Amino acid sequence: MSQLGPGLEQAFHVAAGELGMCSAAWLFVRELGKDGDALVAELRDVLGRSYPVLDAVATCWLEGRRAASIDVSAVSAACAGASQLLAIGLETSFLDALLPRLEGVAVWLLTQSAFSVDWDRVLANYQGRVRGVDLASFQRLAGRRSTLLVMTYGRRGELTFTSPEWLRVVGSDVRTQFRAVVGWDVLDAPMQVYPRWLVEAPCADFSQYVGAP
Amino acid sequence: MPKPPHRRPTASSAIIGFIDRPALDRLLVPWVPDAQDRAFVLRCLLDEGPAHHRGSNYVLLSLLGQLLPDPVEVAPGPSQAVPMRLPPHLAGGDDAVFPLRLPTAILERLAPRDSPAFQAMIDALIDGPPQHALANVAMVCLLSALLEARRPE
Repeated sequence: MSQLGPGLEQAFHVAAGELGMCSAAWLFVRELGKDGDALVAELRDVLGRSYPVLDAVATCWLEGRRAASIDVSAVSAACAGASQLLAIGLETSFLDALLPRLEGVAVWLLTQSAFSVDWDRVLANYQGRVRGVDLASFQRLAGRRSTLLVMTYGRRGELTFTSPEWLRVVGSDVRTQFRAVVGWDVLDAPMQVYPRWLVEAPCADFSQYVGAP
Repeated sequence: MPKPPHRRPTASSAIIGFIDRPALDRLLVPWVPDAQDRAFVLRCLLDEGPAHHRGSNYVLLSLLGQLLPDPVEVAPGPSQAVPMRLPPHLAGGDDAVFPLRLPTAILERLAPRDSPAFQAMIDALIDGPPQHALANVAMVCLLSALLEARRPE
């Protein structure tokens, strides 16, 4: 009999939308892991196929990793010289860690997601430090000191995986309207199941890719 | 009638293979001193558009670079910003220009500064996708320095 509550999937779905799949996965895995690895294994079995990032994070936990790998040094170096930064893909644990390293940089978040997200609620957490911009108008942030930061999830050869909104943004026009296009591998682990919610993207689309080679 | 021999197009990897990116990076230092600005310009010149444009940009700029004196002197003078190609309703930000400016004094050899032809030349040089516009501008930068070096004392 499952020890997981019936509302778990709904709760994870909401959290994945408003925290990011990787941030939510680590939160859920860490909380369940307090009561033992068996619960984490069950979480992976129950939700892993639906949420591949959660599957990968649960696997990391079961292999002994106890926290997300959040090293902002390389990312902040890749964003050096920027006066504006537009994040594509929400991952709160990672963005929260990066923000103190972005003093003086205006930070924006693309308010587009495959999940239903209450963007007002998400952005309210940042108290004006991060502002929202939609697909129709994000190019007004283009500039010689503007950087795109794209959250990615693992790497397979020359490909990485990212959220579909990146495909709505990337193009030869947009690539040349931003000083740097930085990919940040927030998962830092391979995915074992079909990466639903995500799309493949060539690592070569990024001017800098921060993550394991 | 015998068929003409089939000529296989040059592989794009062969074009990409001859590009010496660090050499082009060094060449542009006098006009784009900031390394990250230069990385942005180089990305537009060498990583965007069809492979033959990337290769052509490298060849033409490198050959022009070989004509330059060492060290190169970049004379201060009037210049024109190169705007990014943004949808009109989203354009207008002061920062939405590439970090390489078009020197315009050299164009006075071809048309008076306040003439419609002069403005049309500027427009022709800075319009188009960045791999064209920035290559044009970089070539004008090199040509300006070259002609300046040849000017009689």
